[in-house]
Amino acid sequence: MIRTPLRPLPQILAARARGQNPDAIERENLRLRHEETRDAERERAEGRLLVLGIFFLCAFVLVGGRMGTLAASDPEEPRAQVPGASILAQRADIVDRSGRILATNLTTHSLYAQPPIMVDPLRAAEELATIFPDLDVERLKKDFTGGRKFLWIKKKISPEQQQAVHDIGEPGLLFGPREMRLYPNGSLASHVLGGAGFGREGVHSAEVIGVAGVEKTFDDYLRDPAHGGAPLQLSIDLSVQAVTEEVLNGGMKLMNAKGAAAILMDVHTGEILSLASLPDFDPNDRPVPLTKGDAADSPLFNRAVQGVYELGSTFKILTVAQAMELGLVNPGTVIDTKGPLRWGRHRIRDFRNYGDALTVEQIIVKSSNIGTARVAMMLGGDRQRAFLDRLGFLKPTKVELVEAGAGRPLIPSNWSEISTMTISYGHGLSASPLHLATAYASVLNGGRLVRPTLVKRDSPAEGERVVSEETSRVARQLLRKVVTEGTASFGEVRGYEVGGKTGTADKPTPQGGYYDDKVIATFASVFPASDPKYVLVVVLDEPVETSGKEPRRTAGWTAVPVAAEIIRRTAPLLGLAPVIESRAGNGITLASNR
Amino acid sequence: MSYLEYKVKTVPTGFSKVLYLNWPLILLLSAVSSVGFLMLYSVAGGNIARWSEPQMQRFVLGMIVLFIVGMVPIWFWRNLSVLAYLGSILLLLAVELVGAIGMGAQRWIDIGPLRLQPSELSKITLVMMLAAYYDWLDPKKVSHPFWVLVPVALILAPTALTLIQPDLGTAILLLAGGGIVMFCAGVSWWYFGTVIAAGVGAVWAVLASRGTPWQLIKDYQFRRIDTFLDPSQDPLGAGYHITQANIALGSGGFSGRGFMQGTQSRLNFLPEKHTDFIFTVLAEEFGFVGAFSLLVLYGLIIFFCIASAMTMKDRYSALLTYGIAATFFLYFAVNMSMVMGLAPVVGVPLPLVSYGGSAMLVLLAAFGLVQSACVHRPRGR
Repeated sequence: MIRTPLRPLPQILAARARGQNPDAIERENLRLRHEETRDAERERAEGRLLVLGIFFLCAFVLVGGRMGTLAASDPEEPRAQVPGASILAQRADIVDRSGRILATNLTTHSLYAQPPIMVDPLRAAEELATIFPDLDVERLKKDFTGGRKFLWIKKKISPEQQQAVHDIGEPGLLFGPREMRLYPNGSLASHVLGGAGFGREGVHSAEVIGVAGVEKTFDDYLRDPAHGGAPLQLSIDLSVQAVTEEVLNGGMKLMNAKGAAAILMDVHTGEILSLASLPDFDPNDRPVPLTKGDAADSPLFNRAVQGVYELGSTFKILTVAQAMELGLVNPGTVIDTKGPLRWGRHRIRDFRNYGDALTVEQIIVKSSNIGTARVAMMLGGDRQRAFLDRLGFLKPTKVELVEAGAGRPLIPSNWSEISTMTISYGHGLSASPLHLATAYASVLNGGRLVRPTLVKRDSPAEGERVVSEETSRVARQLLRKVVTEGTASFGEVRGYEVGGKTGTADKPTPQGGYYDDKVIATFASVFPASDPKYVLVVVLDEPVETSGKEPRRTAGWTAVPVAAEIIRRTAPLLGLAPVIESRAGNGITLASNR
Repeated sequence: MSYLEYKVKTVPTGFSKVLYLNWPLILLLSAVSSVGFLMLYSVAGGNIARWSEPQMQRFVLGMIVLFIVGMVPIWFWRNLSVLAYLGSILLLLAVELVGAIGMGAQRWIDIGPLRLQPSELSKITLVMMLAAYYDWLDPKKVSHPFWVLVPVALILAPTALTLIQPDLGTAILLLAGGGIVMFCAGVSWWYFGTVIAAGVGAVWAVLASRGTPWQLIKDYQFRRIDTFLDPSQDPLGAGYHITQANIALGSGGFSGRGFMQGTQSRLNFLPEKHTDFIFTVLAEEFGFVGAFSLLVLYGLIIFFCIASAMTMKDRYSALLTYGIAATFFLYFAVNMSMVMGLAPVVGVPLPLVSYGGSAMLVLLAAFGLVQSACVHRPRGR
C-alpha cells in the first residue's frame, strides 16, 4: 500500500485521483504512529523490567545464599535463656564447708494477663478461679473487661498450675519466668543465711536480692556473673549446725528459756562451724518484721550476733589472763576476798561467802566477784580497756552478717574505777555472744587474735599476739579446773577435756535496775583444754530450771548441761577422738580398773 | 493511553472467565498458605485451634475475595482506584484517632468484628492509585518534574502516616513498592539516581543525629540498627531475635530436625515466633531444603505475575501487576533478610505464612486484582 501524507492539499487531490480515500489513509497513518510509540514504550518498559528482574534475582541469590551459609553453620545448642535474662542472672548457690547446698535457685513462673489480647475473658476468669481457689472470680472478670492493659495474677505458680493455666488456651494469659531462692534445709542455719526477696520485677524476670544474713552481705558477689556461678562456701558445717540447733532447742525448752544462742568456733582460724539463735524462722518464708514491741522478741533477731548482753563471770578469765600476762599474779597468788567489797556507795558481793582469802585459781574456780575486782584494781582501767579493745569488745564484730553491725557493745561512757571492777566480772559492759566466742578463741588458742568469719578459710590466720603461749596454757588449765572442780561440773564430757567458765548475769530492767528473777546464763567453753580446737559459747535468755525444790537459774544448772550435750554430740562429727586424761600428780598407771 | 474501551468485546464474559483465571498462581498461593498452616500447627505444639484454624478460615475467606475480585472487570477496579486510595488514607488517619493500641504501636482499627490494619490495605491501594495515574498520564510526560512530583506526593502521604504509627516496616514497603511502580512506568533514571544518593545522605544524617537534640529516629530504632550491625554485642537484649533466629537456622542444617521437632522455636526461645519470625520455625524443622523451597515458591509467584503482566495490553493492568508483584516480593525479601540478619529488624510479616488476618486478606484481594487483570485481558485480535 502506498502511503501518502494527506497534507498539503495537492496530495489529497492526488490520492483522490488514484481513487483512494484520504480519510482512511489518515486513520491508517495515525494507527501506525500509535504503534510506533507503543513499541518504543514497550521496548523501554522491557528494559526497565530487565533491570527489575536482575534486582529481584540478586535479592533471591542473596537470601538463598544466606540460607545456605546459615544452614551450613555449626548447629548450636539452644540456650536456656529467655528474653530479659539480663536481670535474671543466676544467683550463685551457697554451700557449707563440705559443699552441701544451703541455698540454691528454683525456676518457677509468674502469671500475668493482658486483657486487650484476650479472646474470652469471662471464661478465662472462671477457669482461673477453679485453678486458684483463692482468686475472686468476680474481681477477675472486672479486671479482664475493665480496660486494663496489664495485671499480675500470681507471683509464683507451680508447674502443675502452669500447665492447667496453659490448657485454658487463652492467649491473654501469659507466663514470666521467675527465679526464686530455695533453702532446702528449711529453718536450718536461718540466721546465717538470712533470706532473699524479689527486687525489680519485670514481666520476663525478677531480680532476686538478699535481704538479710550472708545473702545480703554477699549480695553483689552472689549476683556477679563474673564468678561463673561458683558457689559461696561458708565455714558452717551442716551436720554440726543441725546438732547444735537441735540440742539448743531441746535445752531451751527444758530450761524454760525464752531464747537461746550458740556459737561453735574454730579457735585457730576464727571460722564459725555453727551459729544458732532461737527462736528462728524459715528463710523460704520469712516472717514480717515486728512493727511494735521489742525487735529482740522477733524470730528474725539474731541473738548470737545482734543481741548484746552482760555476759557475767565469763569475763573473769579475761581479767585474770591479762593480769597473769602482765606478771601481776599467778595461779597461786592469794587475793583478799573479804566481803562485801565497798567502793563509794557500791558494794560488791559474792554469790556465797568464800572466806577471807582465795588463790587466783580458786577465784576462777569458785567464781569470786570480789577477788576478780581486786585483780582488776591491780590492772587499772586504762590497761583493762586497752586489752578488751584488742579483743574486739568495744566495736561491733566484723563477721560477714549485715546484722553484726547492730551488735554494738554497750560500754560505760565513763570508764571509772567502779566500772573497771564490775567489768572485770562481766557487768557494766554488754557484748554479743559472738564477741565472747572471739575473745575466748583469741586468748585460749595460744594467744593469737582471730577474726570471726563465716567464710571457709584454708589456713589458720596468724593474728597478732594478745597473750603469751604460757598465759594461754595456764588460762586453759584454770578453765579446765572450773569444770572438774568448780561451777561447771555438769560440763564434763568424758574424753574431750572441756574447760570453760560460767556466767550468770541479772537482766537489766528498762528502768535501770536489775531483775531478781531474770538472768542471762552463759557458758563459754574450750575443748580439748590441752590442745584447744574449738570454742563453744551457749547463752540462754531467762532460763529457769525447776527440777529442784527451788527454781535454779545459774548457768551451772542451765547453760552448762546444754553446752555439754552439744559438745558430746558434735565432737565426733568434728573428727575429735576422745582421749583419756592422765591423772595429774600420779605418775603410776594403776593396773586395777577404778 | 488505554485500549480497554474499544477492545471490550474480545474479553471473556460470564462463567467462561473461570477458565481464564491464572490457575498456576492460585495453586502457588495455596501451597504457600499451606506451609503457613503446617508451621502454625507446629508452633502451637500440635494444637490446631490456636493459630492454624483461624488462619485457615481467613485463607478460605481470602480465596472467596480473590475469586470475586477476579471476576469483576479490571476497568471497574481502575475506576475505583482513586476512591480506594483516598479511603485507605482516611482509614490511616482514623487509626491515629481511634485506633486500638497493640504491642506498643497503634495499627488497628476495629470495625465491628473485623480488626483491620489500614497500613496493610494502603500498600495495595497505593499501587492501584499509581497504576491508574500512569494509565491516565500521557507517557511522554512521565519524566516531567511536575508529573513526577505528583506520584511522589501520592507515595509520601501514606508513608508518613504509617511512620507516625510507628510502623517502619510498612513505611519501607510503601516507599519501595511505589518507587518500583514509578520505575516500571518509565520515569527517568536521573530521578532514581538522585533519590538513592539522597537516601544515602539521609541515612548518614540519621546516624549522625544520634544523641543530638534533633535526633531523627527513636532510640529503640537506633538500637535495632546497632544490633543489626553487631547482634553479638547485646545477645540477650535487642540482639536476641537475631541471635536466636540464627541458632535456629543453624540447628536446622540441610534437611532440618523434622516436623514438630524444632527445639529453638518450640521451647519458647523465640518471641513472636508465630508472626514475624515464623520463618525460623520452618528453617529449623525443614532445614535448608524447606527454607529454600519456600523461597522458590515465592519466586514462582513473582515469575507468574511478571509473565502475566508482560502479556497485558493496557498500562493499568501491567503496572498494577508489577506493583503487586513488587510489594509481595518486598514482603518476603525484607522478612527473610531480617530473620537471617541481612537487614535490621522491622516488623514485616512473612506473606501468607505469618499468623495475621489483615495481611492475608489484603494479599489475596491483591492477587484477585492480578487475576482480574489477567482474565479481562483483551484477546484474539
